[in-house]
Parts: sequence; C-alpha cells; structure tokens
Amino acid sequence: MESINLNHLFPTKTSNFAKDEIFDVAVVGAGVVGCAVFKEFCEQGAKTVLVEKANDILDGASKGNSAILHTGFDAPPDTLEHKCVQRGYEEYMKIKDDYNLPFLNTKALVVAWNDEQLGKLDAILQKGLGNGVKELDLLTHEQIMRKEPNLSLDAKGAILVHGESLIDPWSAPLAYVKKGINCGGKIAFSHEVKDGHHNGKYWELQTSQKPINAKVIINAAGLYGDIVDKIKGTQDFKIIPRKGQFVIFDETAYNLINSIILPVPTKRTKGVVITKTAFGNILVGPTAEDQESRTDSQTVKETLEDLKTKAFHMLPALKNHKVTATFAGLRPASDETYYRVSINDEKNWITAGGIRSTGLTSSLGLAKHIFELHNTRYEKNPKADEKVTVPNISEFAPRDNQKEGYGKIVCHCECVTEREIKNACHGELGAGNIGGLKRRTRAMMGRCQGFNCEAAVTQICKNEVKNHE
Amino acid sequence: MNNIQIAIIGAGPAGLSAALELKKLGYDDLLVFDREDEAGGTPRHCGHLGFGMFEFKRVLSGPDYAKKLAKLAIDSGVNIKLKSTLTKVENGVLTFSTPEGTKQYKPTCTLFALGARETPRPDRLVSGTRSPNIITTGALQRFAYLQKIKPFERAVIVGSEIVSFSAIMSAKHAGIKIEAIIEEKDEIDSFCIIKYMVKYLLKIPVLTNTKLKNINGEDKKVTSVSVSTDEGEREIPCDGVIFTGQFTPESSIMQKSFDDFNFSNNSLYISQNFQAKDDGFFVAGNVLRGALAAFKCYFEGKKVAKNIHDFIRFKHQPELIKIEADENISWYYPSMIDLKSPTKQHLTALRLKRRAKGAIKVLLNGRMIYKKNIHAFPFMSINIPWKDIELKPKDEIKLEFVSS
Repeated sequence: MESINLNHLFPTKTSNFAKDEIFDVAVVGAGVVGCAVFKEFCEQGAKTVLVEKANDILDGASKGNSAILHTGFDAPPDTLEHKCVQRGYEEYMKIKDDYNLPFLNTKALVVAWNDEQLGKLDAILQKGLGNGVKELDLLTHEQIMRKEPNLSLDAKGAILVHGESLIDPWSAPLAYVKKGINCGGKIAFSHEVKDGHHNGKYWELQTSQKPINAKVIINAAGLYGDIVDKIKGTQDFKIIPRKGQFVIFDETAYNLINSIILPVPTKRTKGVVITKTAFGNILVGPTAEDQESRTDSQTVKETLEDLKTKAFHMLPALKNHKVTATFAGLRPASDETYYRVSINDEKNWITAGGIRSTGLTSSLGLAKHIFELHNTRYEKNPKADEKVTVPNISEFAPRDNQKEGYGKIVCHCECVTEREIKNACHGELGAGNIGGLKRRTRAMMGRCQGFNCEAAVTQICKNEVKNHE
Repeated sequence: MNNIQIAIIGAGPAGLSAALELKKLGYDDLLVFDREDEAGGTPRHCGHLGFGMFEFKRVLSGPDYAKKLAKLAIDSGVNIKLKSTLTKVENGVLTFSTPEGTKQYKPTCTLFALGARETPRPDRLVSGTRSPNIITTGALQRFAYLQKIKPFERAVIVGSEIVSFSAIMSAKHAGIKIEAIIEEKDEIDSFCIIKYMVKYLLKIPVLTNTKLKNINGEDKKVTSVSVSTDEGEREIPCDGVIFTGQFTPESSIMQKSFDDFNFSNNSLYISQNFQAKDDGFFVAGNVLRGALAAFKCYFEGKKVAKNIHDFIRFKHQPELIKIEADENISWYYPSMIDLKSPTKQHLTALRLKRRAKGAIKVLLNGRMIYKKNIHAFPFMSINIPWKDIELKPKDEIKLEFVSS
C-alpha cells in the first residue's frame, strides 16, 4: 500500500527565468485580478512576471464566488468599481469566443419579497438607469410567476435586469494567464513575497524561493493586499476578510429557475442569491461575515441550514433536491467599500486592493484601467492578437465526453473524462493542487463527492505526474 | 439509433442477475450497460468476505463475487457494454456517452439497476474545513482495494451502520488507524454484536450519543474533529474523516428524466412488479432504497426478470395506484400497486429513519385499514401484509408511523 498525501499530489512548481532577470512589471497575486492584469501587460508588450504564493492560480479569494457577470446596474455610481465592472463586461464579451469561454445570458430578477422591499425597487431602477444600464424592466407579481413559475408566491415585484449572465469563474482567469504566457509572460508559482526594497533602479522582491526584480510592482495580492502594500513603505488600507458561505444543489434542480434571483441589496452586501451555475447546479449564497483570519474558510452548520431555509422560502421546490457541495469563500473587503486602486509614481508601485465580490466581472476592465494609470509605452506584443483557447468544462457548450477517444469517464457525476484529467496535470499551467485540478475539470465536485472517483483520480494524477517528471 | 428489446442499466448484482435470468428465458436482444470499465458493481471494491453465501453457497470476497457474477453473465452470452454513461432518457430513448462517441438506443423495455451511494459530507451540512481527506466508505474501499493507496494515517469514522464495519476493515487493509467511531444516536445503527466486536476485539472506541461538531484544520488539511457528548466537547486528533452510510439511490438521472418522482424513496414510483408508470420501465436493486446486501439485489434481479418476461409476453398494461409515506419512513416498497397484476399479494416493506416504538398504519382514502405495533431499528425492514383488501383505481393509500 502506497501512502499518498492528497495535498501534495502535484510537485511544487519552479519558475523558468533567470535569477538576475529584470522585469518591467511584477504582478503579485494570481487571483482573477492578477491574471487579467498579467494578460493586459503582456499583450501591451511589457516584460511581465506573475508572482503567486500558492502552487496554482485562483487559490485565494477567487476560487469561491457566485460566477455572475454583472452589468453594474447596482454598482455605486461614478466609482471606479462601476466603471470597471462595465468595461470588464464589455471586454469579456469581446474575447469570450476567441478563448472558448462560456456565457449564458440568463438575465436576473431583483425580487422584492415584502412591501418594504417593493418600495425600494423604483430607486434601484433609477440607479440602474443612472448607471447606464438601460435594459431594465419592472415586473409585477404575475409577470414574475410567468417567468419563474417555481418561485414562491410571496414574490411581490421585481426588476428584470436583462444583461446579467453566467460565466465559468475558473476557466476565464486560466485563459487570461494562458494568453499572458503565450505573449512571453513568466509565472512564479509557490513564490510567496516576503519583503522587498527599491535599489534606485528597480524593485527587488524577496520571496520564499528566488528573488524577483521588476521596475514596477502591481499589488493584486487579494486577501494579503494590505500586507504586500506595506513593502512600499506606507500602508493605506486594511483588508477585512469577508466570509461568504455557499450551498450548491444537485443538477436535478437546475431547471427550477431560469433567471438569477437577486435580493434587494442592503448596504453591506448584495445578499443571498439563487442562481444556476455554468456547471449545471443551483447555487445559494453567499453570506457576509467579517473576520480577522485570512485563511479560515470553514463552513458552519447553522449558517448552511439558514441558507437552505432562506432558499426554500424563495424556491420551495428546491426542498426535493440534494446538496452537492458546501463551501466558503473569503472576499478581500477593505476598511472602505470602494476599490483601493492607486498609483505611487515615485515608488513605481500600483495597488489594486479591496476588490470584493465584483472582481470576476471587473477584472478585465480593471486591467485596462491599471495599464492606463501606468502610462508607459511599450512595443505591443506581436502575439497580442493571437488566439489561445481553454477547454470548455461548462454545460453551455459541448464537453470532452461528447468527443470521441476520451478514454473513459472517470468522474461519473460530472462526466469528467480520463483525457481531461490527464491534460489538466500537464504543462506550465497544469494543476498545482487538488483544488486546481477540480477547477480545471470539475472532477470530484458532483453529488457523490468522490465516493466513485477520488481514488481513481488520485491514481491517474500520480501516474501523470510521474510520467512527466 | 438502435432498436433493442431489453436494456439493463447497471452491471451490479441486480442488473447482472436479471440479465442472466432473461437470457435463460430466451432473450438474446439484450444489452447491459455500465459506466465503469469493469462489470460487477459495488461488490468490486468491498474487499472483505461475506458475499455469495445464498447465491453460490460459498463465502466470497466482494471482488471475487463481482468477478464470478460477471463471468457467469459473459459465459452465458450476456453482452455487457462497459464505459457507457447514461446521460439522457427522453421519449423512451436512452442516450449514452461512450469513448466511441454518443450512442442512442430505443429499447422495448428498460431496467434501471443503478445502485446506491453513501451520503457524503455536504448533504449532511457539517461545520469545518474542506479537505480531500474527508471521504466516504466507498471512496476508502476504492483507495484500499482498487488503487492500493493509503490516503491518510489516522481517521475518525462517522456513523455506525453495518457499512461502518466495512470502513474499519478497509482502513485496516490500508494500514489506517481508526481513532474512534462516532454516532449521534444513543445506540449504534446496526446489530449490537458489531459494537462489541469493534470495541473489544478491534479495540476501537465506539462513541454513541456523540455529535460531530466541527472538522478542524486549515489549508485543506484535517488536524482533528471536535465532538460533543453529554460530558462536553472534546477533540479527537486525526488526519482523515470517513462518513459512512446514509445510503441514497444513485437516481439523479431518473429524477431529471421522469416527471413523477418519489421523493420519499428518492427513486421512481414502482409497483409490486418493479414496474414504473412510464411504459416499459422497470427498477430494481439498491436504486430503489439505498443499500441492502448484494444477495437481496441478486434475488430481486431474478424476480424482476420474470416480470419483464411477463410484460413482454402478455403486453401487460398496468393499472396503477400510488402509495405515499410520511416523513418518518426512510423507504418503502412497493410505492404503487398494480391492480391488474397477477401478483395479488400486497406486502409492503418499509424502514424507519430512526429507532422508534409505535404503530405503522395503512390508510385507505384516509381510513385506517391496517395497524401494526412495532419497535423498529433503522436497519430493520418491517413487513406489512395487508391482503384481502379490494382496491379501486382512484384509491389513495398512505403509510403512517405514529410513535407511542
């Protein structure tokens, strides 16, 4: 019997550039924002390195979110967030087909469940129109029920937001990084930035592996954004991690709703959402719980029960469906609600901090914004217009199991093939840990949670890693 | 599209024994489909002994039993299509994903023998960290017996159904130390003798009245579990957690594909002939009600084969009335009665969700027609014979448990 530590199934990655290499830009943090910024700078022709403390991308805040592409109808007006969400949405629409990224325009309903909320709908509508989101309709109870016959009869009224859509939150950032690498960008996984100093010419960052030299630092360190920011000498904000717990229901529930069901938002959060996912499930969440810890993403039974109860009130038929997964994500909220994006020209330091729940949508817009802030001309990368694609794992397009020669289906719940798992183990952008494998393939994420396939998946990964050593 | 006479989905004990029986009855236009790359079903990874006593009059291990059953089927000419995943059932057409591409079949008669699985951590809503080291017995069996991998060193077993004993044996086989078995209820969920064997022969603490409060750890690692008892909370250090039992039918494809789904049983409504409401569909084995022993599925497979035979021979069109059950009942069979069936004996088998004393009542159109006082354990089936009742097409039948 061979002992295998499932948390170290994949070897620690090493970087493929010289120790004395001097980059134009180092992006710290490979969350969705870091990945998008990396892509932008590589395309623009900057010699860029993406520095990440984990052994894979999306290992922090970006791994757990509700996977919605927002229109920005409810964004704080005339803020950077508002601007970047809309710009990010536009950018995503421009590139999604080139990258083989999924998109499903489900539309969203902001549902008022009582008279007080009903009274707020008009203000939300006006705010949306003011934010430049024109496709909004007020729906009556009857209109809601016609669109969403399974919704509770308590739905008093709603705003229909035409643009709200679903995307795959994991493949999109993977595509961004892949594009960056294709343009010559470098990645340093398992490089935790510990400290750094400016030697007059460029920054020298000390990391847990080799040092990294770059003329400009872009801090996209998410949950560690304030800590990394200290390196530049001043600390302008504090990260207050906000935990969001989610409950995912089995694919049997998928057709219970057509649109994303949004609540009338409170000051703190968008509240509990019920939505389909790109992977064929129903997602309920998130909660919003401020905490000290940047790592504690434990779930709490009572909170999960509460989420279920709330969801059953809104969508009673959900009671007949099983829970497939429960998890918690940490949003890198800061001590203010707005994005903490700033440039320190003197120090050659750009901060992209406090990007909370809208980061998935805004990232591509934010990347453009940051490049503009940077205000330096490079010679555009000759490969900037080349296409790179990522494998589709969503339900909105044909998957690998619909194409011949896949070997066999290993994960039966999610129909993940042997070929998909093997491919996800390889290359510079191969999985760096089990979470990364799941995010690339969906293996073990279904209703049986590995009852059928965890052992087989482990075996395949072990062999693949060994064969490619 | 291929027209075939009989399709059996699932090459486990129920599916294979049905196939063998149908073959004996002379059916050649028959295909068995299985999503795995090996026939045999769940026993393939139950490495311990205890299989085959009733079917083959021998004591076999699960894998040997699975091999024997598969060989019997193949030797008698049963055609088994492996690596075939059923992805859709629509208008009587079955769509499979196979390595050779998508395949469609339109059978006259389809038997679902899809099996069951344990309820993993998420549907139990457990507090704590997430980790690949939080698994089920099924996953542990596959690690230990199929892949020969030891995924962790010391584990806590959650739940005390008979399958927990299998988890102990699998852990032992893999060299994993079991720190404790914890059970919320005040008694273990299987026969007492198992408790004493575990406690005194295997020297594993069996903690009843003990709730799992939290799985502690960070960064995908488990470091301990917190449990609460009457005496307070305590921590048990471990690097793995094994959730056992709470079997649930592997029935998602049926729930997705059929309008009328029985949520009490998490399966289709089926008659005493294992026949579903939709024309030509039959259901048998553990997909009807979670886990029973392999031999029960084997014999059920034989039985359903005869019913399929009758259906094809006599073009039997059932006249069905439904049986509903209240929330105390974890499963019951049958969930419909076919008034036109030659099988006139109405016998309901059921299990309760928890240990209880009280009475099972059968209500016909709201009026009690049968009552039985019981003291039931969740692992015990209770039989309710209620013969000599004249039933009419629109009758409504309900099973109720009232605790005393």
